[in-house]
Amino acid sequence: MSPLANLPMIRLLVAKDWDLFQRQLAAYVGAGILALALIGSAKPWTFYLGSLLLLVVLVAAACFAISTSLLTERKERTLGFVMSLPVTPLDFYLAKIAGNLVTFGVPFVVLVGGTAGVILSTPVPDGLLVWSLLVFGHVLLAHAVSLSVAMAVESEGWNTFAMIASMVLVNPFIMMLGQIPAIAGPMRGEAIVWSAEAIAILSTQVLLSAAVIGFTGWVHCRKRAFY
Amino acid sequence: MPPAHGAPDDARRVPHRPGDAMHDPSRMHHMDNLRALAMLAGVLFHAALAYSPLMQPFFPTADRSNAAAVDAVIWFLHLFRMPVFFVVAGYFAARMVQRRGFGAMFRDRMLRILLPFVLFMPLVLWALSASTLHAASTVAHPSPVLQWVAQFAAMDDAPPSPPSTAHLWFLYYLMLFYVLAWVVDTLGGARIGAFLRGLHPAGLLVALPLLLAPALAMVSAPHPAPESPLPQWWALQFFGAFFALGWLLQGHDAWFARLRPVLPWLVPASLALHALFLHQLSLHPPGPANPAATWSLALLQAFTSVWMTLACVAGARLLLAWRTPLLRYLADASYWIYLAHLPVLFVVQYRLMDLDWHWGWKLSASIAATLAACLASYELLVRRTPLRRLVGGAATSPSVRG
Amino acid sequence: MTAALTLSGVCKRYPAFALEDVDLALPEGEIMGLVGVNGAGKSTLLRLLGGLALPDRGTIEVLGHPMPAQQVQAKREIGLASEDMRLYGSQTLRWHMDLVRAAYPRWDEAYAGELLRRFDLRAAQPLKAFSHGQRVKALLLLNLARRPRLLLLDEPTTGLDPVARAEVLEALSEVLRDAARSVLFSSHDTHDIERLADRITFLHGGRVIDARDTAAFLDDWRRIVCHGALPASVGQWDGVASVRANGSLSELRVRGAEAVVGLLRAAGADVRSVDPMNLEEIFVATVRGGGKH
Repeated sequence: MSPLANLPMIRLLVAKDWDLFQRQLAAYVGAGILALALIGSAKPWTFYLGSLLLLVVLVAAACFAISTSLLTERKERTLGFVMSLPVTPLDFYLAKIAGNLVTFGVPFVVLVGGTAGVILSTPVPDGLLVWSLLVFGHVLLAHAVSLSVAMAVESEGWNTFAMIASMVLVNPFIMMLGQIPAIAGPMRGEAIVWSAEAIAILSTQVLLSAAVIGFTGWVHCRKRAFY
Repeated sequence: MPPAHGAPDDARRVPHRPGDAMHDPSRMHHMDNLRALAMLAGVLFHAALAYSPLMQPFFPTADRSNAAAVDAVIWFLHLFRMPVFFVVAGYFAARMVQRRGFGAMFRDRMLRILLPFVLFMPLVLWALSASTLHAASTVAHPSPVLQWVAQFAAMDDAPPSPPSTAHLWFLYYLMLFYVLAWVVDTLGGARIGAFLRGLHPAGLLVALPLLLAPALAMVSAPHPAPESPLPQWWALQFFGAFFALGWLLQGHDAWFARLRPVLPWLVPASLALHALFLHQLSLHPPGPANPAATWSLALLQAFTSVWMTLACVAGARLLLAWRTPLLRYLADASYWIYLAHLPVLFVVQYRLMDLDWHWGWKLSASIAATLAACLASYELLVRRTPLRRLVGGAATSPSVRG
Repeated sequence: MTAALTLSGVCKRYPAFALEDVDLALPEGEIMGLVGVNGAGKSTLLRLLGGLALPDRGTIEVLGHPMPAQQVQAKREIGLASEDMRLYGSQTLRWHMDLVRAAYPRWDEAYAGELLRRFDLRAAQPLKAFSHGQRVKALLLLNLARRPRLLLLDEPTTGLDPVARAEVLEALSEVLRDAARSVLFSSHDTHDIERLADRITFLHGGRVIDARDTAAFLDDWRRIVCHGALPASVGQWDGVASVRANGSLSELRVRGAEAVVGLLRAAGADVRSVDPMNLEEIFVATVRGGGKH
């Protein structure tokens, strides 16, 4: 059977997750708009509060969207009910990936676009663009790792560890970027410099994210139990 | 707001019942016409800014010939023009959600609001900037803004101007309000709506202005346009309240009708408040000395805004509940006219700046020329082209009426 | 006629438990009861059939569809309700009904409405407000209204109060009257199985220790009470599952009573009574007898 032969069921599973998590998503979106409005109020304290809130929302959307849609399903033993529907493990996997594309992908793309827009259209040095994209690349990779651990590993402890560790690693990653002259150097200038190092890191992040997600699908479809 | 949780789109479609006045499409003419009027009033408002003494230091097309009478009129209009528009937008959005669900509403608004915003934003910004730069180097009697632009253009390392959504900010806020409506609805907004409609609508006359005054106290008076690409808190609160009001009114005409006894008093009362506002404004004129409105200015604006908006919505039911081919044409064209008018208006008014005409002639001429150009472009570029689906009338897209 | 289910040589190993070499078949239209103690492998067997777990070895076919290759086609015709399967607490029963209806073309809305009334369930109520009995009935409703050709039920009546139990059994026996539907259900309660099942399978320690028609089971087993001294080898006689002596009275549980009674009499014992046994007694005797035939 071709992977998409069961498309109506995949759609049904995505719609089901949407119903289950739309309250949570609505809260994220509301908080995100509130954060932007605080940033837009152009007072130092609202700016910092808004930036903090925005960061919290992105991390929440990145982590908790996974945790609610995968871990809760397992913990509350609703997975058996879902898998008893006419679906294959591959359908289930594709539905979760598609759902994550919305819950994580949309805010992520908006934030990347927004950040690029702010850097390019304001007095902030344009050289910061490369650095910011690398940091977003890390968030993407962290999300892919968390998603794949949630999909493949049942232990809640390991999942929490994967989520927190991968997100916390952004600090050493930023420090590491600071140690690479080809990336740290042009950060404060107006020129956008795509050094070989920057291209190598970004493509590694993107390819690794795709590989991790693909590998997870392969592992998931080889699981022996789904309940 | 209607319930949304988990219900498939079609589950809450309200079947059309014959004789059900609430769902009779003919009953929506007044809201349609009101929206068109609010949009067309924008052309008048923006055209008149050039002849407002108050706006001399801030508006690019500010003209040597101006009159205080202009200020007296346009700042009154300013207080309810966009609020009325947002009430109508909230009303139609709620109507569409009730009939076809949030999914359908978002799909429709993507096409009618987001796509035009993305398509026309760069064009509008380019046109405004090009005509202004050209005027800065050619106009003999430049406005303070044009003089500043000329100096700025002469600088070698001039920083880029801050990003702006110009007069299309309302599309950006509409999208935010549609999303927020879903957020509120998903988090239990139906209960809030039911609770509010359980109160007497006369409460709106006092409670709403008191809710809005803090928002208006955050910005200068008269309140500016929220053109920043980041959402402004005060604008979310101020215009969002009117959007929510429109949402609440949808399908609850009887509730609104309970306001009938006070409605005739709203216009004279608002005029009186506006006289007070003008007096206060002369004591605290906008500028670096008064970056934010005083509380009295904020309160006066808030009351006038709410009262006049309610008067307009009620008045529309009495005066605008009919449709002629001409009205229909204007209603269809009004969205495009509003999108296109500002760049055209700037070109026209930059041309008029060096003429020694009376402001009244300049105002009339600029409005007439702008409307003529916009209508002609509507006829040529929109009405018979695929653009009509995006920014044209509702004839090919009945959904926009909800 | 296709078999409702066929398992051949199926093994499934977990760290603390293994299902070994299970061969089992159920003709379409029949009802099979699974009897076994906790941990015997009943749930595992049902999960394997429902496509929730894959066997380590052996082949499984459900309604002619090999599993897991054609699991989508098979699952479309299966109803699976197990004791540890939970529904979404935050959502209403109506929401679950809509979800299942969208997944199963044969969903019978009228029947679902009837079951709602009969089970006294409120569709608009979120599942978290349901009692245990209501949750069991809700899951059963979701399975019955999809009109499955094969119904797999794991402990459908466990933990139910007597009223709910009666309601569930009544609904089940109605399904069972439909000759085209096959059912495999497990229960602690052998009375339910004795009452409903056409065929019975005893599962113990991950192995099938006996599987036959209900009538054959009941006909085969007898409790014999006799008086007088018995030879010491009586416990080893063919068909004797257990012997209990109380003074000069002895009670034997046996398969193939005629032969044993003949042997007893030949040994000089006075056979006082030969009585039928109920399924629970038969099960216990079978397990104690190590499943010897």
